[in-house]
Amino acid sequence: MTADGSEHPAPPLGTDPATPEDRAAEFARLRTLLVGREQDAIAELRERLERVRLTPDAVAEHLPEAVALRAGRDQQLARALGPTLERAFTESVRRNPQQIARAIYPALGPAIRKAIAEAIAGLVGAINRALDESLSVRGLRWRWEAWRSGVSYAQIVMKHALVYRVEQVYLIHAETGLLLAHATAPDLSAPDADVISGMLTAIRDFVGDSFEPGADGGGGLRTFSVGDVTVLVEAGPKALLAAVVRGQHPPELLRRLQETLELLHLHFAGPFARFEGDAAEFEPSVAILADCLETVVETHRPRHRSLAPRIAWVVIALLVLAIVTGLALRHRRWQRAVDALDAEPGVVVLDTDRGWRSWRITGLRDPQATAPAAVLTAAGADTNRIRGAWTSYLSAEPSLVLARAERTLAAPASVRLRLAGDTLVAGGSAPTDWIARARARAEAIAGVSAWRDADVAPEIPATLGAAADSLALTRVLFAAGGAELSGPALQSVADAAGWWRALQAGVGEEWVVRLDLVGRTDSTGSRELNRALSDERADQVARALARLGLPERAVRPRGIGTQDPLPARDLEERARLNRSVSFSVRLDPASPMQEPRP
Amino acid sequence: MIQKKICMVGVYATGKTSLVRQFVHAKFSDKYLSTVGVKIDRKPVQVRDQDVNLLLWDLEGRDGVQDVQTSYLRGAAGAIYVADGTRHETVVQVYELRDLVQRTVGEIPEVLALNKVDLADQWTVTKGDRADLARHPWHVFDTSAKTGDGVEAAFHWLAAAMVGAP
Repeated sequence: MTADGSEHPAPPLGTDPATPEDRAAEFARLRTLLVGREQDAIAELRERLERVRLTPDAVAEHLPEAVALRAGRDQQLARALGPTLERAFTESVRRNPQQIARAIYPALGPAIRKAIAEAIAGLVGAINRALDESLSVRGLRWRWEAWRSGVSYAQIVMKHALVYRVEQVYLIHAETGLLLAHATAPDLSAPDADVISGMLTAIRDFVGDSFEPGADGGGGLRTFSVGDVTVLVEAGPKALLAAVVRGQHPPELLRRLQETLELLHLHFAGPFARFEGDAAEFEPSVAILADCLETVVETHRPRHRSLAPRIAWVVIALLVLAIVTGLALRHRRWQRAVDALDAEPGVVVLDTDRGWRSWRITGLRDPQATAPAAVLTAAGADTNRIRGAWTSYLSAEPSLVLARAERTLAAPASVRLRLAGDTLVAGGSAPTDWIARARARAEAIAGVSAWRDADVAPEIPATLGAAADSLALTRVLFAAGGAELSGPALQSVADAAGWWRALQAGVGEEWVVRLDLVGRTDSTGSRELNRALSDERADQVARALARLGLPERAVRPRGIGTQDPLPARDLEERARLNRSVSFSVRLDPASPMQEPRP
Repeated sequence: MIQKKICMVGVYATGKTSLVRQFVHAKFSDKYLSTVGVKIDRKPVQVRDQDVNLLLWDLEGRDGVQDVQTSYLRGAAGAIYVADGTRHETVVQVYELRDLVQRTVGEIPEVLALNKVDLADQWTVTKGDRADLARHPWHVFDTSAKTGDGVEAAFHWLAAAMVGAP
């Protein structure tokens, strides 16, 4: 409705008003004509005033609309409200932090968990690698490298461990599990990528539902390994990014997948929203996926290392080789020496103790055995370093028994000793006093149970040498052609008997001193006559000796005529000397059992 | 090329997996069914000169509806229910399965395969049952995983329905 009431047709001015109503109308018309313009202005102003005076109800009704309207038009509203909201939020947090924490927890919780889980996974990976490598040859090499370069071992491990290959990358529609795009390493093919993509989604859902039921889309399988292959799955709101990695991947790879997935969400927001099963729009994403494919091989050290370390290695190797060889040779020499010692008669090695600087040998040693030091020296061992601890013993070794016998009996050079079983057998010749001593001692020698000296030719002991010599030089002389004993001849016989007694007393009762009487003649006369004359002369002396008390068995007369004459300066002297009986001394065993040697 | 996810659901021993085997050359062994609860196969088909790649999610159904893992249904563009024509209870359970799918993914093209048509003499599906089935928006096919009867037709019908050209 308008203020001027112009909907009624106005009567012309100047006519008389018949009724008071008409007059009032007339007045109103007049007023309109006079101040109508001002009245309109006042009405408009009033209306505006009414509109400005909004009630809270009216504001409540229009506020959301107004905010939406303005927010759609420009950023003024956001700018205007910003500081107020910030202050309000700050105030609210100050007053009741619990409330705010509860409110934003659902958003922050998963994000924090995710960040922590990734950090821990990375740490665990690094620790695992370090442990795996710590005791291997390569690990030792890395330690050496770390020590040499002054870089921490962990850094060296990280440097070497980055060996992996991203073989396939799948972009999978999150809701349907349909394959959107797929990139493979150049030498690989994946004919069933679409089915695998579905299965990956299913398995992820399966694991998620099994272990974290209710966590819709937030959880799920992120990493799983099959042998050397690891599948990394990054989940975004619209799509999953799955990477098939062979080998040990670094934590950076996960981050890279996250970034790639974010990039894809940004670039393909439209196609994601429109997706109805046609993946053609995602064709360009293959290039982005292919960026994730990579092969990282072990970084080889540059080859410009100086020669010095290698020479050092060679020197160390040679040194080690020399030491090992030296030790081996030393050991062999030692073993050879010990073996030689053990093989030595009269030496028994009981124990050897090989120290670093000195060797020690414990054993038994027969006093007759060769000195151990001599044996060791002969075997090439350094006897200065060997300490021997020897216990004396008596060896039954034949050579040692013989040596012991020779030493014990002090056998003269003319005696030959040998062992026949455990019987000590003597041969050669020996003075009777030695034979007597040997008989007394031989069977007391260790290893000897019997003594046999039947083959030893008895000799006059040296102490009786003078008597024997005197006897041998004694000549009983006769007149030419005669056999009677003259005065000087009888004296010579008596001398001989005296020498005999001395000798017999000297050799003892076990022996009989036998005098062989040899009768001779000069060269005149017939041979037969001379032979008979010489026999007669020997018999005369024998009879004279018997008369002087010599037993019959101690005298053995024999005539040889002119055979084997005694030598002399001239014929006359020779004739005189050979008209004689001379003596030679023999020893016979006194016992009739012991027959003299033929 | 268009790809479509199809879920096959059905109670235990209705011949569901055999149907898939009849239809595709399987890549994964059936043991996935019992371990993960799903087995996925691919079948490329042609619908009016258009190539459609069907990804068949064969969902394990051991004892009943509660065994079906609903996360596997997510994003399905079509569903195939399988019932055993010789076992009446499986035909009844199909309704429950359908409810579950509807609740999870909403209205999508559906096919009901009444399987084991080769054993038609042992069938327990009555006329009344058929009338009840006909009241639902799915398309009913009598199939036989043994002889292959109706299998191709069911999948093709579903593929056509999903790309909007029935």
